[in-house]
Amino acid sequence: METITHNKYTVKKIRELTKSTYVVRMERNGMAFIPGQNLNLGLAGDTEKRDYSIYSRKKDDYLEILVKEVEDGLVSKQLKRINPGDALEVDGPFGFFTLKEEHLYSKKFLFISSGTGIAPFHSITGSFPEIDFTLLHGVRYLDETYEKHDYPDDRYISCISQEAGGDFHGRVTDYIKQHPVDKDTLCYLCGNVNMIYDVFDILKEQGVPSENLHAEVYF
Amino acid sequence: MKYHIITLGCQMNLSDTGRTKPVIESMGYEWTDNEDEAQLVGILACSVRQKAIDKVYARIHKWNRAKNQRNLLTFVTGCILPADREKFLKLFDIVFPMSELQELPEMIRQNGIVTPVSLKVVNQQEDLVFRNERVEQLKRSAAGLKLNEHMSDFWHINPAYESKFEAFVPIQNGCDKFCTFCAVPYTRGREVSRPSTEILEEVKNLVEQDYKSITLLGQNVNSYGLDKKGEEVSFPELLRLIGKMGKASGKEFWVYFTSPHPRDMTDEVIEVVAQYDCLAKQIHLPGQSGDDKVLIRMNRKHNMEKYRHIVHTIRKLIPRATLFTDIIVGFTGETDEQFENTRRIMEEFKYNMAYIAQYSVRPGATSSRWDDDVPKEVKKQRYHTLTEDLMKTSHEHNKAMVGKTYRVLVRGKERKGEFLSGLTEGRINVRIPSTDMSLVGQIVDIKINSATEFSLAGDLINQTELQSA
Ligand SMILES: Cc1cc2nc3c(=O)[nH]c(=O)nc-3n(C[C@H](O)[C@H](O)[C@H](O)COP(=O)(O)OP(=O)(O)OC[C@H]3O[C@@H](n4cnc5c(N)ncnc54)[C@H](O)[C@@H]3O)c2cc1C
Ligand code: SF4
Repeated sequence: METITHNKYTVKKIRELTKSTYVVRMERNGMAFIPGQNLNLGLAGDTEKRDYSIYSRKKDDYLEILVKEVEDGLVSKQLKRINPGDALEVDGPFGFFTLKEEHLYSKKFLFISSGTGIAPFHSITGSFPEIDFTLLHGVRYLDETYEKHDYPDDRYISCISQEAGGDFHGRVTDYIKQHPVDKDTLCYLCGNVNMIYDVFDILKEQGVPSENLHAEVYF
Repeated sequence: MKYHIITLGCQMNLSDTGRTKPVIESMGYEWTDNEDEAQLVGILACSVRQKAIDKVYARIHKWNRAKNQRNLLTFVTGCILPADREKFLKLFDIVFPMSELQELPEMIRQNGIVTPVSLKVVNQQEDLVFRNERVEQLKRSAAGLKLNEHMSDFWHINPAYESKFEAFVPIQNGCDKFCTFCAVPYTRGREVSRPSTEILEEVKNLVEQDYKSITLLGQNVNSYGLDKKGEEVSFPELLRLIGKMGKASGKEFWVYFTSPHPRDMTDEVIEVVAQYDCLAKQIHLPGQSGDDKVLIRMNRKHNMEKYRHIVHTIRKLIPRATLFTDIIVGFTGETDEQFENTRRIMEEFKYNMAYIAQYSVRPGATSSRWDDDVPKEVKKQRYHTLTEDLMKTSHEHNKAMVGKTYRVLVRGKERKGEFLSGLTEGRINVRIPSTDMSLVGQIVDIKINSATEFSLAGDLINQTELQSA
């Protein structure tokens, strides 16, 4: 019988960003991933697992995920209660929400996110800081801009819908309507499906071809 | 001693049953159709559909009651979600992932059932080690992980084919695509490709035994080889090798593959199918929806532009190919407008066949946590509308075949009347007025004389008629 390779990952640290949103750092265990991919994880010994985009960078010696505690949610609540030293069961990496290597330094990217949908872009922009990108982050309140200092000031645009003080007051859809997108730009959309659908329609109207649109729906 | 297996779910489970039987028979068990007289009963389960899981529970409760009356050992394997696997551990004597099939005799022996093979002496210490390892392993499988660790052992098992002329050959197991409506990635684990040398050998053996229809099976056949990162041939290359072998054999047979994913469908696959006679001119290309936004929500990772390109390439390179698809109607959030886009592709691509399903929640799939918000009646209505659309195009295709002669694989006797039934190379059903059972398993010439929406009828023409025609 073959020996079993363990997929248990020890939690190293929890970083609270807002009352409901936090970053879980766990050991890397040598996992190779392509920025933009996600993990499927849950508490060790529990059969309930959920998908979380990898938030950390390729070069980090740990893995991180950015989680929002969902009201009446199960796993996002369980994860909030874990402590350093606890074990998670992690499978992955999975998914194709990644940049093509041949595009990295030849294309312009527009990353459009809502809420924790910024997670894959944190990994992508941190892993490939030289790429030509603009990152739109749609949230309701100022404190949800999470770790915005990790992105170059001139590339990160917060679109805050419920209060003033962000880079743009309004939704990401309003921003895109006011700042039409060049059709050669590769657009990556991540987060809530309503945002993705609305942005998709606007981008199509602006002439961005389907092949330049990529999306990852969280819920 | 007798055994009985219940197979639930798809062709993959059927094919896996073909490998399970010889393993059990190697222990001295004999098959029985009557589960009530079996001493060993098992299920190849399918967690992908709730109905199938309900059947597993009904059966195991019955079997556990029967244990009061007779000596009975139960096992379950197949496509099982982690949560179900945990529950099964408490109900079945043996729970194992299919990849560990070769260890089944050992597991049976550990359960204290004496069989000719299990009589070998093993000391208690070994028993204990085996049990501990097994518990650990099952816990891991319960978490849904490394389900495919031992797939290569599984594929070494010589299968018992159900038919003498049609066979399924697994080439790949598992799926990495994570379509949001599907639980297969959680039940079958990651994509693992079977070594091409083994596949070629199995296909060659089948061809030597005069098999006429061979289906290469996998959840995602056209991502074949990708998991081996350059150390295995690609899917088109595998097809090419089979094509060459077919050509060299000089025999007539048809090789199909199912299911491919549009994301990994390359022009090269279609070119190779066009090139070799033994690669059947039938393509099953699951579309699921004709609307780009629905495809995004389904996490299909293909869009209509890509899909359209594939269909155009098929039409250009293999004009006579039949085109089949899978469609889901009423997926979470599907609007009337999005459904209309699906209707448009039915019109545009003129499928010969479409397996249309009304969306239903699959336990464990990502979308099971989303609102199933399209009302039942709307789903039903969309299903009927699309079926009618399909019937129009398939009828057109079938009518165009009337008066022409086609090669048809005769598969058996129809249940009613004095007819044989068969399939064309493009997998269209043909009814033949004959009771000559010696034709079963042969590819014969049939002149089509009538067509309905989903089938054809035609007469056998003998060689002399064909030559004088
Ligand atoms: C590919 C993929 C990547 C993902 N990556 C992340 C990530 O990086 N960070 C993250 O926080 N979540 C992510 N999610 C969502 C995550 O998988 C869970 O759905 C989420 O944490 C809720 O799980 P739960 O068990 O707490 O809630 P459940 O008990 O599963 O109930 C979930 C309910 O909450 C809704 N819901 C899910 N997510 C949210 C949300 N963020 N806000 C409001 N409602 C929500 C669901 O639609 C559902 O109705 C991702 C999902 C997918 C498919
Ligand atoms: S490709 Fe999609 S539908 Fe097919 S098995 Fe994989 S997840 Fe399921």
